[in-house]
Amino acid sequence: MPEKQKYFEDRYDVIVIGGALAGLASALTLAKKGKKVLVLEQHNLPGGVATSFVRGGVEIEGTLHEMMSIGPKECPLKIRNFFDEMGVDIEWLRVPDAYRFVDGKTGTSVLVHPGDHGNFETPAKEIADACGDPDGSLYQKILELLQLCNTVYDSVNVLSVTHMSKVQMLLKHEKFVKTAGYSAKEVIDTFHLPQKAVDILSAYWIYVGDVLENLPFTIWAVLMADYLGYGSYVPKKFSHEMSLKMCERAMEMGCQVEFGQRVDKILVENGHVEGVRLASGEEIKARYVVCSAYPDKAYTQMIEPLSAVPEGAIKFVNAKTIGVTCFSVVMLLDKSAEELGIKDYSTFYAAEGMDLSEIWKEGSTEGPYNYVTSICTNLANPGCSPKGTCIYSITTLPRPEGWFGVNEENYRQMRQKNAEHFIDLESKRLGVNLRDHILEIVVETPVTISHYTGAYQGSVYGYMHTMDDHIVARLQMGEKENYIQGLSFAGAHQISGDGMGPAVTNGRKGAKIILDMMEEDAKEGK
Amino acid sequence: MKVKGFLKDVGGASRVTKARQAKFDQASANPAPYDPIGTLAKTLHPGFLHFRVTEVRDASPTAKTIRFEGAHFPYFMAGQFMTLRMKIGNSLVTRPYSISSSPFQTRGEHPFVEITVRKPRKDGFVADYLYDNVKVGDEFEGEVGLGEFHYGPIRDAKNVVALAGGSGITPFLSMAREIRFGNLDMNLTILFGSVSEDDIILRKELEECVCDKVRVIHVLSGENPNWKGERGFLDAKLIQKYSQGDTTYFVCGPQVMYDFVRKALEELKVPARRIRFEVFGAPRDITTFEGYPKELAGEEFRLTVCQGIHHTVIPAKANEPIAVALERAGLKVHTACRSGACGYCRIKVLSGNFYVCPVGDGRRGADKDYGYVHACATYPTSDLKIKINID
Repeated sequence: MPEKQKYFEDRYDVIVIGGALAGLASALTLAKKGKKVLVLEQHNLPGGVATSFVRGGVEIEGTLHEMMSIGPKECPLKIRNFFDEMGVDIEWLRVPDAYRFVDGKTGTSVLVHPGDHGNFETPAKEIADACGDPDGSLYQKILELLQLCNTVYDSVNVLSVTHMSKVQMLLKHEKFVKTAGYSAKEVIDTFHLPQKAVDILSAYWIYVGDVLENLPFTIWAVLMADYLGYGSYVPKKFSHEMSLKMCERAMEMGCQVEFGQRVDKILVENGHVEGVRLASGEEIKARYVVCSAYPDKAYTQMIEPLSAVPEGAIKFVNAKTIGVTCFSVVMLLDKSAEELGIKDYSTFYAAEGMDLSEIWKEGSTEGPYNYVTSICTNLANPGCSPKGTCIYSITTLPRPEGWFGVNEENYRQMRQKNAEHFIDLESKRLGVNLRDHILEIVVETPVTISHYTGAYQGSVYGYMHTMDDHIVARLQMGEKENYIQGLSFAGAHQISGDGMGPAVTNGRKGAKIILDMMEEDAKEGK
Repeated sequence: MKVKGFLKDVGGASRVTKARQAKFDQASANPAPYDPIGTLAKTLHPGFLHFRVTEVRDASPTAKTIRFEGAHFPYFMAGQFMTLRMKIGNSLVTRPYSISSSPFQTRGEHPFVEITVRKPRKDGFVADYLYDNVKVGDEFEGEVGLGEFHYGPIRDAKNVVALAGGSGITPFLSMAREIRFGNLDMNLTILFGSVSEDDIILRKELEECVCDKVRVIHVLSGENPNWKGERGFLDAKLIQKYSQGDTTYFVCGPQVMYDFVRKALEELKVPARRIRFEVFGAPRDITTFEGYPKELAGEEFRLTVCQGIHHTVIPAKANEPIAVALERAGLKVHTACRSGACGYCRIKVLSGNFYVCPVGDGRRGADKDYGYVHACATYPTSDLKIKINID
């Protein structure tokens, strides 16, 4: 056997733990600033959940429904802008519709299309018409609500990168300021919309979690404005294209990216990061670490010594509520979408009605779940599977708690029971027995997510956006929450929260914190 | 604009900040990580396990069953395979073996897993090694419970006809046992092709599983004057004879059998979703595949291997997968299916030319654009520079 080889440099400027979207966005940002970066990913692929898999020779999207904040080439939004700036060239395909919303209890079924370039007339009209709007007044109200969302969205985009006094903020971002203290429900209520319109407008709700009473309006507004005002996109070669191209670009820019490398410890000396230790026992030096693992894991298991973790950091993680995880049935079907009568790219189906608090309660159990999102990839990406087949997924985003009682013996049964329920729900809705068409099926559970990404409690959605963990408060308090000098985080657990778009934003922010720390250390001569 | 009143509205930001602060102040300062989902994920997918051989017995005059114990084996699915990592000379090789014991046997007081290996007919240096050298007390490391070849209750018909040839019987023995133990609800009819009666492996074990849900039909292809059972090959007529209603066909055996069975199932107009093939490992002779540059078959190339900042140069034969070249050089490469499908051995080709086995190519589209290949199914056709994971 050869002698023990030297695989790593003596020292890196920054080590990024985790090569998913956030970690790669950090790496790109830091490399652009000329930093020597090492990315360590435990899996043998980049991207985390932003990935695809191959079954029976066919590549199938792993998790991505739609990517927000991309926008068309001529009117790019912030994530497309970031990719352009970094030289990451992804082939984006526009998703044709926003969603179909179906309420199994009331029979409501309405297809909503996004507007263009921040124009909300199309979705407002479609939603109003579905509710009955003889004099056009409902259309006006919905339009106003969506335009308010858009104003808040614009403000968030400015304020998340610009520091401003409160007075200035009130003058320039009045609507943002005045809605910041309220839940989505409180603001929506002021528009006096019929319940049906609220239900249709709430379809995306599950992507940010918690009921409208406890969901910050700011977050709901960002989601609505981005998706309904600009539409969404998917990469032609699945989310793996995005992950891989970010990774390849990072390497071109000089980052060293290593797969199959699990980091066990973040080494801290005299209150400052000094490096990491791999599962193999090898130690690598760097005074700065961007960590994609949940702070829950980092502060309680990874920091060495644990005495270097201040009390505030523990309180921070204990005060947070872990966000939703994912249960998804992904299938390759043996007929085309057309042959099966599948017409919509994305459907939100409230099979037992749109009582969000009931749905939310159900989401904290082991199932069965009755609020599902279905995606037919081929309708945004024709030709993504062989002729005469299509890719169809059915997903819900339950809370991790429901899966705490699962063990080796009952796991498969629980997985199967939920998957069968999903397939039956959708078969009934579509009027096609999907079971007669399954070429390949993969069931993704919270355990699957945990296995592939190591995400704490299998959560994909970081910490919940709630009224007592509000994005505005997160932004205001964020600076005080870097508990260990030299350490920042990147992932859904950071300020911008969940989703693949926000993951990129979170990664950039994680890099920015490191760059600021470097400057601070340099000033203090550390 | 107004939500509830000017003062309340403009005070919103500080209100939510106070609420957040209050929640933090009230939070416990005791670390309390709790991740049962992560714990289960590690139990089901433990990665490399260490175990030892506790029994070696004959499964036929030409096959041996090897039992492993000593690890907390995951509750795998009947039909899946395991890998063994072996040091043979200076090589560090990993090979997949279908598990012939049942998942149920990993439970209880004395958990174990078993594989059955056949006496190699031609040269197969790993198979030879295991068959000739394995003994009680030997220690191995490997991964247990890999692959997609298992019954799927949602996807597959309740009636399964297994088409097995030679050592391809092992995953079906695992399924039959699991059914017999009452842990798998399906009806299994095994059509098992062998040359002669002496050639039938695991015959006794299979007979022990026969019940109202498990049938075993031996089909002999050689001259067997005294044989009263089925004769010939697993052809359409025979398959039809033993199929009832909606049926899923599972196929595992040598490469030649696949082509034959595929045609038979086509003849019977079995829909694609009712046919599952096990991957069959690296082809015996890659040079017979379409598009392979035959003129290079005897060549040996220089393979520059980058691991982190370390580089090393090793030889690589044109007719052997890159994974084999790496193993021959004593480099650790994480492989599992050895058929190009699973992608565990995904590596990046930085420069040079290569040929990818077209059967079972499991590469992702974007990976193809950037030179990522699966080392177990990729053959060098020039000097190559590759990047592999640090071991």
